[in-house]
Amino acid sequence: MNEAVVNVDARGLEPPQPMVVILETLSELPERAELRAHTDRRPLHLYPLLEQRGFSGETEEQHDGSFITIIRRA
Amino acid sequence: MTEVLSPSSAAPNPSRAERPCHLPTKRAAVADVHAPAVALPLRFILTGIAALLAGASWLTARPIILAGYHYGPEVVAATHLFVLGWICSVIMGAMYQLVPVALETRLHSERLARWHFALHVIGFVGMVAMFLAWDMKQVGHFGSVLATGVGLFVYNLARTLARIPRWNVVAAGIASSLGWLSFTILAGLYLTAAKCWSFSPFEPLAQMHAHAHLGGLGFFVMMIVSVSFKLVPMFTLSEVQNHHRAGWSLGLLNAGLAGLFVTILFSSPWKIVFAFVVATGLAVYGWEIFAILRARKRRNRDWGMRYFLTALALLAPVSGLGIVLAWPQLPATELTTQLESAYGFLALIGVVTFAILGMLYKVIPFLVWYASYSKAIGRNKVPALADLYSPALQAVGYWLFVVGLTLTSVATALGHASCVRAGCGVLLASVTVFLANICKVLSHLVRPRLEPLVFKPKPAAQGTA
Repeated sequence: MNEAVVNVDARGLEPPQPMVVILETLSELPERAELRAHTDRRPLHLYPLLEQRGFSGETEEQHDGSFITIIRRA
Repeated sequence: MTEVLSPSSAAPNPSRAERPCHLPTKRAAVADVHAPAVALPLRFILTGIAALLAGASWLTARPIILAGYHYGPEVVAATHLFVLGWICSVIMGAMYQLVPVALETRLHSERLARWHFALHVIGFVGMVAMFLAWDMKQVGHFGSVLATGVGLFVYNLARTLARIPRWNVVAAGIASSLGWLSFTILAGLYLTAAKCWSFSPFEPLAQMHAHAHLGGLGFFVMMIVSVSFKLVPMFTLSEVQNHHRAGWSLGLLNAGLAGLFVTILFSSPWKIVFAFVVATGLAVYGWEIFAILRARKRRNRDWGMRYFLTALALLAPVSGLGIVLAWPQLPATELTTQLESAYGFLALIGVVTFAILGMLYKVIPFLVWYASYSKAIGRNKVPALADLYSPALQAVGYWLFVVGLTLTSVATALGHASCVRAGCGVLLASVTVFLANICKVLSHLVRPRLEPLVFKPKPAAQGTA
C-alpha cells in the first residue's frame, strides 16, 4: 500500500514545463509514495519517459477539461 | 507547486481518496498515445528549410520570376520548389509529429513515413528539374513518384485519424486538408497528362489556377487553420472559445473552395460568390482566434507566436486581393496579371511561409530539447526551452521578413525587377537568420549542455509525510 500521495499542479505552464516539474518531483518521490499530477493537457510525451524510469502512469480526463495522471512505480 | 496531501494513516487508500469526486470521462492506455521518434519529423523539416534557402536564393538571383508573367517554366519550377520542397516537406514532417499529439493517439506507421520521405524528395527534386527543362513527360514520372509518397502520407494519417478517441474540429480540419491534398495531386497529374496529350477541354491558365487554389487553400491554409485550433490555445494557455464558430469557419472554407475550384476551372463569373464564401470563412476563423487570444492566460507573446499571428493577419489582404481578382469581367491587363503574381506570392510566402516559420520556432526547439534533455530531467540540470534559441535573432528575422515581404509584394505588383531583387534579398537575409537560429538549436543535439543537479534543502511544507 502507498504511504503518501504527492500532488503536483502543473496547470497554467507552457509545454514542456509540466513534464519538467513532474519528472523533477518524481526523482525525489519517496519509495512507497505515488504522484498525482494535474495538467491542462494529456501528458503524451511523459509516458515513454515514465516507462524508462520504471513508473507507470494512468491519465483520467476531468469534466473541466484538465487531466489527472496517477504515477506509480511499475 | 508540490505538496503532500494525505499520508496513509489518514486514509486507507489515499490514491483513491484523493481522486476528484466526479467521474472520469476517458482513460488512456500508455502504449496507445505517444509521438513518433524525433528523427522522422526533423528529416522532413530540415529538407524543407534547405528548399526554402534554395528558393529564396533563386528568387534573388532571378527576380524576373516574380516581376514577369507567371506562367513559364522557371516560374512553375520555382513555385513547385516552394510548395513541394519547402511547404509540403515541413507541413508533412510536422504533421507526423503533431497529429498524434494533437489528437491523442499514435502514428499508424513510422516505416511508411520513412518510405514517404524518400519518395517525396526524389519526386519534388525531379519535378523541379523537369519543370525547368519543361519536359512534361518526366514531370509526370517524377510527379507519380511524389504522388505515391503523398498516397502513403494520406493513408498513414487516415489510419491514424481512424483510431482517435473522439472527433473534434481539429481532426475534421486535418481530414479535410488531406482530402484536398489528394485532389490537388490528382489535379496536378491531370494537368501534366493534359500537357502531354492535349485532351483537356479546360483553358490551361484556368486549370492551373484551380490546381493552385486546391493546394494553397485546401491543403496549406486548411491545415494551418486546423492545427491552430490546437496550437494557439496550447502556446497561449487558452481554449477554443466557441466550437460551433470554429466548425463554421472550416465548413465555409470547404464549401467556398469547392465552389471556387469549379468556377475557376470553368472561368465562370460566379467565382466571386465563392471568393466571398472563403473570405467569410476566414473572417469567422479570425473571430475565433481573436476570442482565443482574448481569453489567454499567458499575456506575453513570444516571437514564434508573433510570426504566426502576423501570418494570420495577412490572410486579410490576401483575401481582399483574391476578391478583386475574382471580380467578373476583370480585364486581363499587365497590372492584373502582376497582381495575380503578388496574390500568389503573398499567400505562399506571406501567409503560409511566415506561419510555418513561427510554428517551427515552437516545434524544432521542442523536438531537440525532448531528444537531448528529457531523459536527464531530475538527474541533471537541463536548459529551459527558451535557452535553446536566440530571441534577438528571432526579432531580427521577423523585421527582415516583414520588410522583405512588403517590398517584394509591391515590386511584384508593379513588375519592377530591381525592387523584387532587393526585396527577395532581404527575405533571404531573414531566412539566413532563421537558419542560424535553428543551427543554434540543433547544436544541442550534437552537444547537450547538461550540468550537475544542485540539491537545495527543501522547506518543511514540501517534505513527505
